Amino acid sequence: MTIADKGRADTVVDFDVALIERARKGDSKAFERLYRDHVGRVHGLCLRMTRNPDLAADCVQDAFIKAWKALPRFEARSSFSTWLHRIAVNTVLEKRRGPSNAEMAVEDPTEYAEPVLSFDTPVEEEELEAAIQSLPQGARDALVLCGVYGYEHSEASEMLGIAVGTCKAQLHRARGLLRDRLERGVK
Amino acid sequence: MNVRRVNRIDELAQSLPPTRDLWPAISSAIAADIEANRVAALDSAPRRTRWLPAAGMAAAVALVTVGIFIGRIIAPAPQTVAGSAASQASSDMMPAALRDANYRKQREALLVEVQNQLNTMPTAEREKVAASLATLRRSISEIEAALGRDPANALLQELLVNSCQEEMRALTAVRDSGSQET
Repeated sequence: MTIADKGRADTVVDFDVALIERARKGDSKAFERLYRDHVGRVHGLCLRMTRNPDLAADCVQDAFIKAWKALPRFEARSSFSTWLHRIAVNTVLEKRRGPSNAEMAVEDPTEYAEPVLSFDTPVEEEELEAAIQSLPQGARDALVLCGVYGYEHSEASEMLGIAVGTCKAQLHRARGLLRDRLERGVK
Repeated sequence: MNVRRVNRIDELAQSLPPTRDLWPAISSAIAADIEANRVAALDSAPRRTRWLPAAGMAAAVALVTVGIFIGRIIAPAPQTVAGSAASQASSDMMPAALRDANYRKQREALLVEVQNQLNTMPTAEREKVAASLATLRRSISEIEAALGRDPANALLQELLVNSCQEEMRALTAVRDSGSQET
């Protein structure tokens, strides 16, 4: 992150705090601003996790409604964006109505710690999104949260309700599957 | 066609805005939530004001007690048969008994005797006692009205019983103050 990006991020955070305070007091206009600022990332997360635009839209709506109701319990010290994503992930998991991630046996989770996945040759964004969508649910969830949205394994595992080791194993699995599918796609 | 390529997975766009505006549905749900909270707040507010008659009752009981005390200083009365009867009536009284025919009969008889006694009192003293009894009756009416809105309220029920007992004691004391003078 550049200094300019950092400065912008700080400004956004401060602005969020003011909006959150107003929203907490029942100001729905302030909450609408928060919605407009965050809906893109929340929707991206839900869409990648559900692979279904209608279901993703439902999840986004429910997540923001839950966030509105839970605002009095939001602690200003934590990141609003992370808090919102946590609610969104939880909403997606609820909508799936079942175990979202089968626990995987992990021999040594530390070997799967690296979340960043890089490619030797540039990949078309659309092709990469399609490859992510083709992944099994558990692997896709871990890849989306850790790989795309940059969450630590501890944060992602907490959001998904799985063990950190399972999250690492799912990410490892996702990386392998993704490479295979991209190679197959190229060939 | 401009195709975007990425070298790393974290270069993918994090923000994918929805194709339609989801805010109207969210806004409706929030408006409903605000309305529900407002109704809940209104619902709880009258519950608090229902305790006002209780406070009024406490003040009235204190007033009547002081009034009776003053009356007794003016005309100290020994324990009489009628007094013990009133006391017995008071101790026997329970919420259901407040509607009892026997209680009503005793009260009506007492009221007649008290009215006769009031007629014999000096004007200033009569007005003071009558005002105290009226305050007590008004408080009883308010408690009854509050019980009408919240019939299961145990504290209001207890206050009503205590107030009616207090009224009986006050009526008895006023009546006996006359019998002692003669």
